[in-house]
Amino acid sequence: MCQVLKHGGPDDEGIFDDTGARLTFGHRRLSIIDLSYNGHQPMADAQQRVWITFNGEIYNYPELKAQLISLGAKFISSTDTEVIISAYIHWGMAAFAKLRGIFAFALYDKEKALTYLVRDSSGIKPLYYCAKEGQLSFASEVKALKAAGLANEADPDWQIRFLAYGHIPEPYTTLKNVYSLPKGEFLCWNHKKSTYDIHSYHVIFNKSAIDDIIQAKEAIKENLAFAVRRQLIADAPIGVFLSGGIDSSLLTLLAEQEKKTQLKTISIYFNEKAYDESMYQNLVLKQIEGEKFSHLVKQSDFEGFFPQIIEDMDLPTTDGINTWCISKFAHDDGLKAVLSGLGADELFGGYPSFNRIRYIKTARKYPASFFKLANHSGFDAYRKIAFLTYNHPIADYLFLRGLYSPADIAEILDTDITHVEDVLFANRKLPYVRNYDEQDAAWFELNLYMQNQLLRDTDVMGMSHGLEVRVPFLDEDFIRTAESINPTIRFDKSRPKKILIDSFDDVLPEPIWNRTKMGFTFPLQDWMKKNQEITDESLYNRNKSKSIIKSFKNDSVHWSKAFALFQIQMHA
Amino acid sequence: MPKNIYLFSLQTFSTTGGIQKMTRTLAHSLYHISKKENWNFRLFSLYDTRYDLMSQYLPPENYTGFNNSRLSLGFRSIKEASHSDIVILNHINFALIGIVIKLFNPKCPVWLIAHGIEVWRPLSFIKRTFLNRYCDKIICVSNFTKHQMIARHRSDPDKCVVLNNAVDPFIKLPEAFDKPEYLLNRYGLGPSNQVIFTLTRLASSEQYKGHEQVIKAVASLKQEFANIKYILSGQYDSVEEIRIRSLIDKYDVRDEVILTGFLNENELTDHFLLADLFVLPSKKEGFGIVFVEALACGLPVICGNADGSTDAIKDGKLGTAINVDDLSELQNTIVRYLNTPLTLDKRKNLQKECLQYFDEKYYQEHLLKLLNNEQAA
Repeated sequence: MCQVLKHGGPDDEGIFDDTGARLTFGHRRLSIIDLSYNGHQPMADAQQRVWITFNGEIYNYPELKAQLISLGAKFISSTDTEVIISAYIHWGMAAFAKLRGIFAFALYDKEKALTYLVRDSSGIKPLYYCAKEGQLSFASEVKALKAAGLANEADPDWQIRFLAYGHIPEPYTTLKNVYSLPKGEFLCWNHKKSTYDIHSYHVIFNKSAIDDIIQAKEAIKENLAFAVRRQLIADAPIGVFLSGGIDSSLLTLLAEQEKKTQLKTISIYFNEKAYDESMYQNLVLKQIEGEKFSHLVKQSDFEGFFPQIIEDMDLPTTDGINTWCISKFAHDDGLKAVLSGLGADELFGGYPSFNRIRYIKTARKYPASFFKLANHSGFDAYRKIAFLTYNHPIADYLFLRGLYSPADIAEILDTDITHVEDVLFANRKLPYVRNYDEQDAAWFELNLYMQNQLLRDTDVMGMSHGLEVRVPFLDEDFIRTAESINPTIRFDKSRPKKILIDSFDDVLPEPIWNRTKMGFTFPLQDWMKKNQEITDESLYNRNKSKSIIKSFKNDSVHWSKAFALFQIQMHA
Repeated sequence: MPKNIYLFSLQTFSTTGGIQKMTRTLAHSLYHISKKENWNFRLFSLYDTRYDLMSQYLPPENYTGFNNSRLSLGFRSIKEASHSDIVILNHINFALIGIVIKLFNPKCPVWLIAHGIEVWRPLSFIKRTFLNRYCDKIICVSNFTKHQMIARHRSDPDKCVVLNNAVDPFIKLPEAFDKPEYLLNRYGLGPSNQVIFTLTRLASSEQYKGHEQVIKAVASLKQEFANIKYILSGQYDSVEEIRIRSLIDKYDVRDEVILTGFLNENELTDHFLLADLFVLPSKKEGFGIVFVEALACGLPVICGNADGSTDAIKDGKLGTAINVDDLSELQNTIVRYLNTPLTLDKRKNLQKECLQYFDEKYYQEHLLKLLNNEQAA
């Protein structure tokens, strides 16, 4: 398993065995804090009562360490790993909620004969587990479980989920019995009974609502600057992904203000003018001093990288190509960690879905069967309207963000539409109030789209180059701040992300925020159309797929749909 | 001839409230009775869809979800009317369906389940017509509801039968009664904290649940009980959230009140174990299934004395009913419970006692008797 995950941990390897308990931890290390052998993992306390294998970063470890020292704790290393062990020894399970950072770890308490799997509250670091036949196994990537022969059987329905979402939604994977541990939760495995349960470790607190604009701006300013400051903590080179949009520009400028070390930036630009953001990138770059790495990506690069991208994605996805490329450049430029602007759109209403969600409310006034007509639409983009036939929150989400409609999926996979519906909607309960307002849209974006697609792809593509991607907007304390702001201020309709822009109007140059939103997008429609494999109709078994590929070549189908079919075909 | 039983429900699986929970248990019981007796049973659920079904209660063959299509449900009921042997309508809103079935098949007994506020109010002409002329039996979930049916709608007392709701057969009944450590951590509680717990839907449109009274009571008790905590759970809308938060501020109980929002079903039992006392001084519970769930987990309860809740506490045998408008009575009752420490043995006994009355097996026995009597008639 360790060998399969070597790309994410190039610096060291370790194994811990407790034969009595029939337990083994394996670890591949990407060293960022305390680069010495002191950071070797799996790690234990001096008495060897508690063992850990840990992936990620604890940003508040200096504060926790100081608290623990005052409680009498002793430390050998300068690692955050040791702080987790000590926190657990002092506070037990209550330690999990005190951690701020991006993490997934397994912690074995020898005395109590318990193993905990714990995942960070924003779900930034992945953790997959398989619990069957009295045995628990876990890994940061699904392919490791497969390589070790711990889970071989494919989930028979993964293709349906993939074609509907454009990725595999949590907690599912491509393998049967292999699930993603939900964010903010922990799994506790009892070695004596070989049983487990999963619970949230969140601490509930009474939030005070922010109803005043000035107060909201101050809170955003203070907390985002704080998040950036603590996320710059590293003993290895760290940089920022700069796309030229509001979010990454803001992070770059805030990080520059910290100036602990000279800030390195990584940017990408294209020959395709419609996608080129270098003008905006340069506006920000002019204001900073550190090394600026800028890379041109061409169709030929994409062709060269493509096989490796497919290899690295771990689970099928229609995104992540952009992150893979920029991570490769960051790694080649000598970086081990970078900051990314992910999360701001979801927190402050930066997506069109924040407006579109109201259409669903209107649509609900009409008979559901009316929307079935969409299945016969000649315009590919309208076929998703068929999701309004279903009275289910997942269907609402898929109307906003989905790839293929159930009827199309049934045809592509040659299966019954009722089977497709059952896979997508059965046993999928979501805890949200259905008002079809911005808060609902934010819930969808944060918990479904960002969680399942953006965060997963970002982490796996970064780690494939031994690069840790940090996301200050998703700092737990910053999310709390954003969520405590009155929705009318937080989602001001006059401009997407208005409150965020206004909070930093002294930092952000006007041309950066006063422009059309582009996103971190590659010219993939063109590039994929020129790719011989994707466009080779003879590769695809069924007529439906062949005709979709044909339409893609005429530009009447989006590249993500063709890319999804290509991946289905690859696994066939 | 096998008996054909149909249960019509507005909503069973897609949301979780008292009526939905009750319907799940009723459907589960009817399914099991029918299997044993070799009868046919089918649940029709109007607002649910096929994929909302929780198949532990009954298999897909015995269930149809109509995805909010009244028309489909109407046609289906006409289609099934001629070979129905008993039709049970789980809500008065099915009155028209009841009339139609009776017109197509006058011999088929049609029962209505009467829960709470949906029938404790003036009814439309169609509903009254159904009740008075077509409905053969009114299954009341509590004695209070039965009295309401007789007093308000002049229902024939012989037609009204009380069948108290039962404990959900799939609730995780605790065997050990320790407070779950993960919840102590989540809410920042220690062993010395005395925890009062309310679980209810917190809707701005339903201002009778009495959580406001509990907040006030906690405010005056916090001096005497320095370790008192009040966990207020249940899904709320944004208007009610703002109202509750301002109450918390107004009564200065920010450190005492923990507002959790929606509770995941699989953590329900653990929350009952975490608490020392369950309080829901509501005015309009038809029965209050949450009370028997709390009791089944060995948790003492305080409820209101002017609705169906008194059945759930077996008229005081299992819990205490109070006048919910009398704040001092609520406070005194809370004090009485908090001053009598809850031992593990006590919890165990309370659970045992509760299940003596509200275990699903007694519910099934009672239900079978009613069905057999109908057949004999």
